Amino acid sequence: MLKIWSGPERGPFSLDDLHGNRRDLRAFAGKVVLVHFFATWCEPCVSEMASLQRLATMVREKPFAILAVDVAEVDLRVRAFFERQPVDFTVVLDRDRAVSKSWDVAALPTTFVLGTDLAPKFFIEGDLDWSRPDVLAAIESLYPAANRPQGQTISSK
Amino acid sequence: MQRREFLKGTAVLSLAAALPGAASAEVVFAPRPGAWRAVDLVTKITIEKPDGKMQAWIPLPSVTASEWIRNGETTWTGNIASATRVRDPKYGAEMLHVTWKEREAAPVLEVTSRIEVRDRAVDLSKPGKVAPLSNAERELNLEGTALIPVDGIVKQTSDKIVAAANARSDIEKARAIYDWVVENTVRVAATRGCGVGDVAAMLKTGNLGGKCADLNALFVGLARAAGVPARDVYGIRVIPSRFGYKSLGAGSANVTRAQHCRAEVFLEGFGWVPADPADVRKVMLEEPPTNLAISDPKVIAARKTLFGAWEGNWVAYNTAHDVALPGSTHPRLGFLMYPQAERASLLLDCNDPDNFKYALTAKEVKPG
Repeated sequence: MLKIWSGPERGPFSLDDLHGNRRDLRAFAGKVVLVHFFATWCEPCVSEMASLQRLATMVREKPFAILAVDVAEVDLRVRAFFERQPVDFTVVLDRDRAVSKSWDVAALPTTFVLGTDLAPKFFIEGDLDWSRPDVLAAIESLYPAANRPQGQTISSK
Repeated sequence: MQRREFLKGTAVLSLAAALPGAASAEVVFAPRPGAWRAVDLVTKITIEKPDGKMQAWIPLPSVTASEWIRNGETTWTGNIASATRVRDPKYGAEMLHVTWKEREAAPVLEVTSRIEVRDRAVDLSKPGKVAPLSNAERELNLEGTALIPVDGIVKQTSDKIVAAANARSDIEKARAIYDWVVENTVRVAATRGCGVGDVAAMLKTGNLGGKCADLNALFVGLARAAGVPARDVYGIRVIPSRFGYKSLGAGSANVTRAQHCRAEVFLEGFGWVPADPADVRKVMLEEPPTNLAISDPKVIAARKTLFGAWEGNWVAYNTAHDVALPGSTHPRLGFLMYPQAERASLLLDCNDPDNFKYALTAKEVKPG
């Protein structure tokens, strides 16, 4: 279940993507960003990846982005994984665990949902079906007002 | 002397083989320093789909402990452009660093190391005169590493274990931590390789499952946090167990996936003492008929033995953490127990020997 984030801010980061291009979290400001920490050896992470892809497809027209952060695996293994199971979103490589450590990620998968100001709003340790209506509603509640479905409010319950 | 000790070891095997029914009632697992056994450990690497800059790093047996391991000659062959024997400056871990020409069509390397090993057993009831650790060694074996911090939740957990056991001396603390790891962790067959060894993450999540690099790293971290010098010893099983434990020895001459790390604690009056709580959990999971209870005689015997002794059917590579691969831009490795190689400057997956490719074989030879 997604939990309301009440912890401290999380710092920006910049990591290489699967093609060796540097990707900076700050470039996603203005969008709701799902920062998803995973590894390809982690069984729940593998099944959750399909659910994230469904979410990416469902909210394609929205101000939304997924940034999947692979933790401490060799590039070739991660590339091979996404060649077999392609996704539409950005995958970056936390080769030395520097980002996952600074974000205090203790378990995989762990996901933060950031608001458009890139501050964490929701958090979950463990896997989730991201296409579930209540999860979608939580994400939609973070969109700028113009993109938010009518009557949508954020609940802290 | 060596001949007589060898015969003693053989007698144990014969007895176990002749009385399989009796083995479960009275399990014999009694490594004793005696005859040396020698093996030729061969690592063969073939870089699949060669491309761009290619190099490899092969861990070499480099633990200095003449009472139980003698590192002999290492030789290598292959179509390499360069080969350099490199020593990690902090821990003394040795590796062979090789490079190939960029257009090498079929990069191949074969490294052969001769090693002699024998059992270890420390009589923990009889402390003796043992040289203390130097300040530098003590500091090295008490400090945290990238994956094994000794503060925060590791320190808190260690303090709780020590307090609950009312442990005061180093040996009491180490024993309490050993028992806690045996009783609270679990070996998970699905763990890749030997595990990651992220001790703080294990404790934060409460997921105490994994393999040797996880479970023994937990033992080492908790011991260090209790002020007891401890270290992981990364190596590989090379010979079947002569005590009949299928799970605690090499299954065949092909030891490609037989990497195993053990642990040691330094106890005043005893020196470096072997410990392997991870192998107790391995016996529980894998020893036939599998999924043994902690009260099973085979588990009890393993648990009793593996604090203070281990069998000399395994070769140690090194005790290093946070190892840099010279000539690579890849971040430091948590440990160096597998062959490593790069193709087009990208590190290959060392937990995937079939696609890497690499293979390790161990052949027992006559000592000396």
